[in-house]
Amino acid sequence: MDIWFIVSNTIVLACIYGTLAIGISITWSSLGLLNLSYGFIFAFAGYGAWLFAQHVSTWGPAVLAAGILSGALGGVIICAVGFIPIHDKPNFTIRGLIATLAINLIGTQFLLWWFGPRSKNLPEIFGNWSVSLSGAVFTADKVGNVATSVLILAVVLRWMQSSRRGLEIRAMMMNPHAASIVGIGVRRTSFYVMGITGGLAGLAAVLLSQTYYISPFGGLMPMIKGVSIALCGGLGSVRGAVIAAIVLGFNEALTGMSIGGRYVLVTQFVVIIVILLVRPRGIAGLLDKAREA
Amino acid sequence: MNISVSNHLPGTPARQPQREVLNVKGLSAGYGPVRVIHDLDLVVQCGERIGIVGLNGHGKSTLFYAIAGLTGWQRGSIKLNGGEVGRMRSQGPGRYTHEIVRAGLALIPQGDEIFHGLTVEEHLDSGAYTAAAWRDRAARKLRILEIFPPLRKLMDVPVGRLSGGERRMVSIGRGLMTDASLFLVDEPSLGLAPKIGKSVINALMAVELGNAAMIIAEQNVALLEGRVDRVIGMHVGKLKGEASAALALNVYRKA
Repeated sequence: MDIWFIVSNTIVLACIYGTLAIGISITWSSLGLLNLSYGFIFAFAGYGAWLFAQHVSTWGPAVLAAGILSGALGGVIICAVGFIPIHDKPNFTIRGLIATLAINLIGTQFLLWWFGPRSKNLPEIFGNWSVSLSGAVFTADKVGNVATSVLILAVVLRWMQSSRRGLEIRAMMMNPHAASIVGIGVRRTSFYVMGITGGLAGLAAVLLSQTYYISPFGGLMPMIKGVSIALCGGLGSVRGAVIAAIVLGFNEALTGMSIGGRYVLVTQFVVIIVILLVRPRGIAGLLDKAREA
Repeated sequence: MNISVSNHLPGTPARQPQREVLNVKGLSAGYGPVRVIHDLDLVVQCGERIGIVGLNGHGKSTLFYAIAGLTGWQRGSIKLNGGEVGRMRSQGPGRYTHEIVRAGLALIPQGDEIFHGLTVEEHLDSGAYTAAAWRDRAARKLRILEIFPPLRKLMDVPVGRLSGGERRMVSIGRGLMTDASLFLVDEPSLGLAPKIGKSVINALMAVELGNAAMIIAEQNVALLEGRVDRVIGMHVGKLKGEASAALALNVYRKA
């Protein structure tokens, strides 16, 4: 029972954090932007889904779609406000970091002012049932979380593998300079990238709201975890981010079970530091078969 | 000689002798405080194959980068197919490159400007940026494979695992995937074994230009000898002297 609890928690956390980390990782490697406004997009998408549930429909899939769409909208807004004006200026990496952090702070204050400090509750998206399988109980939200995030991530990654825009994004992730030489425009591609990663943040926000609540600052902790997982997986590697999400999700579930949930961040950073000491390029350093450029 | 450009109907296959593909006037460019190109003029007609020769560090690559809008700053006029693509103020390098590329430029850069994780096939796809080229990219890939047969076996291999010569073939093949009107080839034989370098040059010479033009920057003049229409020397950021192929050949024989 204990083992099953840890395993199922690991999988659920890995799916949600992996979704966030993949978004951060893609943004970093294709746009060179460490998107610290991810927490704001997360909360923004949560409120988008909440407004939809309040005023339009409480049907689960529709609420989920509303969350994803408002996340994508948030990403596009951030791109227009925080990326387009400064992306070709000197010292963009630091400026982008500060700009997105500022957007995060301003945005979350705005949400606090608009919606108030009381946290909001989303309707249950996946219903209220559970399956018992040889001693292990799978509740609806766990099964739904895992299935939805795996499905949507698979669709996004498949799209990136097979479509033309996906090829553009991957080319930009590998060599932005060469990408402009083959005619890939940074600004147009950045809207795709920010829209998609914003949508992933929205997905994570709705899924996580099945366990927690939606609050203006609710995106902060997921963002910290997403950034650290992306770092641990090797910024820019999708597979590395997935593996790091599993490792750190397992760590979180194990820590929560054994010594208490409030030590999660401590053990998490110990694990990350150890991994980065052994593999400075993160887990991706193990996976990368190509020679260094 | 027929220079009546206005008779040409839009949409029909262009057949205009003596049309200017590239017209550079008073171009200066550089990086930060360093000025690499000094007031340079260059006119390229369609159908021309031009060699630019010069020593290391005299601005051959910078000239190409300036045409593509990739230098730190630049000023002066650059007309590509009659449209102005040069910019006066300093800009973020590469900000407008994709628009220039869409206007008909194919830059085949020196060295490893490749995507090391993409496969050879995806590389060739990424070169087909116009809608028309993307639609019939399969046929275009076959054409590239005819030029570079060694790539046939490597289509699913990530480019990061290829050898230098194979990478150069991929890089040139990527540049040849579109119907660009101006091909800029930067040091195609650099760092390659002489035999491979020669076959790469042969492949470039075999490309049917039609209404396009090609500029090849090269240090090894012997490779271009008698095979390009003009050879232009480049010295400390200026184009020095111009020679037709016949003249260059003549000088070579006397020496």
